[in-house]
Amino acid sequence: MLLLMLSYLGLAVFIVVVLGKIIKYLRMPLHVRWELYPVPHEKGREYGGSYFEELNWWEKPIKRSSLSQVKFMIPEILFVRALYHDNRKLWYASFPFHFGIYMVIGCLGLLFIGAIVNIAGLSPQSAIPVLLQSLAIIFGAIGLILGTIGAIGLLLRRTFDKDLRAFAAPIDYFNLVFILAIFLTGLIAWFSYDSALTVSRDYMRGLITFSPVVVGGSSLVAHIILLSLFIMYLPFTHMTHFIGKYFTWHEVRWDDRINTRGSAIEAKVNKLLNVKQSWSAPHMKPGKTWAETATEEVE
Amino acid sequence: MKAGKIRLKDIGKPSDQMVKLNPADFMRLPYPYDKADSDPDFKQLTEDQKKRYEASLDGVLAISIPKPETKGEEDELVRKFLSGLEKLLTKENNWTFLQPLSLSLEYCAKCQTCNEACPIYTGSGKQEIYRPTYRSEVLRAIVNKYIKKGGKTFAKFSGNDIDLNWTTVARLAELAYRCTLCRRCAQTCPIGVDNGLITHELRKLFSQEMGIAPVEIHTLGSMKHLKAGSSTGLMPVALKDTIEFLEDDIKDRTGLDIKFPMDKEGADILLIHNAGEFLSWPENPMAFAIIFEAAGLNWTLSSDLLGYDAVNYGLWYDDVQFARVAVRHAQIAKKLGVKKIVIGECGHAHKAISVIADRIITGEINIPRESSYTLLEDIVCNGKLNLDPKKNDFPVTLHDPCNVTRLMGVVEPQRRVIRKICPQFREMEPHGVKNYCCGGGSGFAIMPSMNFPDWRTRISGRMKFKQILDAFQDVIDPSINKMVCAPCSNCKGAIREILNHYNAWEKCGISYTGLVEFIVNAMVDIKEPYIEWPEM
Repeated sequence: MLLLMLSYLGLAVFIVVVLGKIIKYLRMPLHVRWELYPVPHEKGREYGGSYFEELNWWEKPIKRSSLSQVKFMIPEILFVRALYHDNRKLWYASFPFHFGIYMVIGCLGLLFIGAIVNIAGLSPQSAIPVLLQSLAIIFGAIGLILGTIGAIGLLLRRTFDKDLRAFAAPIDYFNLVFILAIFLTGLIAWFSYDSALTVSRDYMRGLITFSPVVVGGSSLVAHIILLSLFIMYLPFTHMTHFIGKYFTWHEVRWDDRINTRGSAIEAKVNKLLNVKQSWSAPHMKPGKTWAETATEEVE
Repeated sequence: MKAGKIRLKDIGKPSDQMVKLNPADFMRLPYPYDKADSDPDFKQLTEDQKKRYEASLDGVLAISIPKPETKGEEDELVRKFLSGLEKLLTKENNWTFLQPLSLSLEYCAKCQTCNEACPIYTGSGKQEIYRPTYRSEVLRAIVNKYIKKGGKTFAKFSGNDIDLNWTTVARLAELAYRCTLCRRCAQTCPIGVDNGLITHELRKLFSQEMGIAPVEIHTLGSMKHLKAGSSTGLMPVALKDTIEFLEDDIKDRTGLDIKFPMDKEGADILLIHNAGEFLSWPENPMAFAIIFEAAGLNWTLSSDLLGYDAVNYGLWYDDVQFARVAVRHAQIAKKLGVKKIVIGECGHAHKAISVIADRIITGEINIPRESSYTLLEDIVCNGKLNLDPKKNDFPVTLHDPCNVTRLMGVVEPQRRVIRKICPQFREMEPHGVKNYCCGGGSGFAIMPSMNFPDWRTRISGRMKFKQILDAFQDVIDPSINKMVCAPCSNCKGAIREILNHYNAWEKCGISYTGLVEFIVNAMVDIKEPYIEWPEM
């Protein structure tokens, strides 16, 4: 039961803090445009062009393709494309690390669905549960192996690459060792105790039904404890860049929405221009609104 | 201290000079500058300058902060820095950039992927302090340790082991002017962290809270722009004389009788140049006038205060100064009743009024803005002029101003013009949105004091010079005249200084000009060559 409680606590902290971070960024005020080209939704301008290339662009419909954003982002997230192109040395470690994580998340998802199916009363021997369980084993095995390789690779790079070492802090090693320990205990548990992942699926069932599960293998217990602690710790670190990445791309690099007269953007800008600022350099006018500061005579 | 030995916390350790620049470390240049003696010693500050100003970063002065006389003064400056940093992280004082800044402060994974993308870091021979990540990490550590609650606990464990003292602040101020804000680093970041933005925000903090900025950008820049009408000091009265001079010069060079339309109400186009063109490269506004008249456009210039100078230096260092200038430009367009503002060949003015000001200008002054490149493409590629490309039959390469390409997405129009009228056009590599900065971006081109120009030409402009030389390697013989097309005033200024420094005309036959000059040079009706080559 203690193990379950720890997992619940981990999940609860994770959800609350991650949601809090998302809300924090969503509630931040509209910023000025700061896009960076290429912007993939610019249809037909894959070389990095924008609607500013059109003569009298404001008189023409702007061709946008949301699908291009998705097409750009999928390989970016799944295969860490940016590193593949610009930092191949690191990609050799970073790609298996991240892909390993995705596969493990996939495995947990499959176990979750398997547990639901199990609760619904389907026999574990029937086709769907067998398929789910087999897929979970494949995802889990690949994930744990790749993740372990990646985490070791990242640790080695962080230790021996002089560019990375120059900025490495104890916390960076701590984080990597923490994740490596999760992968390793998972790998050992899989090899030595739960190769069919049935205990893992039952643990998932216990989580869903709030009923204690006996986990006999110490490696699996260690794995569950570490994983629960990690998801509790993760939201407080820069490793939540999966949140950041959405905003840096969609809300900054690709945000080329135009401010037209009478638009919602204009209403927001007008509101922000009426906020009082307090900058205090000699050429500033602390206590005045942005609009007043921008339009009054300078001294 | 040697490169590679420098750590984050070293920025706060008082020393004579954190880094000593040595040309032998700099990135090698191609032929004919591939010999070690092509790079003489770096220009050093005098002992007196070192004594008076804070120069302990790298022995270069961009902002020349006077040394505080007492410990009390130092402490007060550190206090102001912290108060500015706090304001930078509030909605009221920094709604303009709060979200992008917060994201960039929070999510760097320290993978260093961005380093190789930076022309200053690579050009300098990989000086540790010029890494795009170095100043960002310093600022991040200060925020984490001194602004966030409980930041001092576990500071060493978390990598925030830094001392916030006057040495740190003074060096950080100079370091904010060792990046051209080209944002090439941001383009490579797998997470989308933007070190260029962090530099921009640091500059804002120094300017908006502490009144610290390079004199050429603030006092003689945006302030002069707002008060006198132009950062060049060109007053409306003097503009009239200048325009008359340009009209006479057009007559002399081309035989054409052209009257610049001034303050013409109801014109379709308000053309705004970087006023530096009137003084340094008058052939540029002259060429615009020749082309616009030949194409039959209904256009005007403004002689209103600020209306004839498109620059907006606030873009580089101060949101309030930025907004002041942007609003005035828009008001002038409104007053004239024009249909659109067309921006001349000035990169930062493009981004300033088109992109950034888009969320500053509202209501009736929100008048459409357009790049002159786009308009010129329409004129050249849709047959509105009678052009003969053979008149431009010499090797030409094109420099992409960062503000127009990577930061605004205007990439092809200028290329289509050049491809149409320059038969020997060749691209630099890389180009378009992957281009390298000229080295003069973010104000560097207009900062001539102390030994900063030497730093700019030798380090921040080094990659651009390499690109130019590489583009012309097959025709590098000085007897073959070659031209760099740089359609931006600041870029032209920076490239001029690079070419002069290395005697590139004498040694390689390389000169530079803007975009419109090629168009006029190709005009069939103009008999004499419009492009002038330097004299030997």
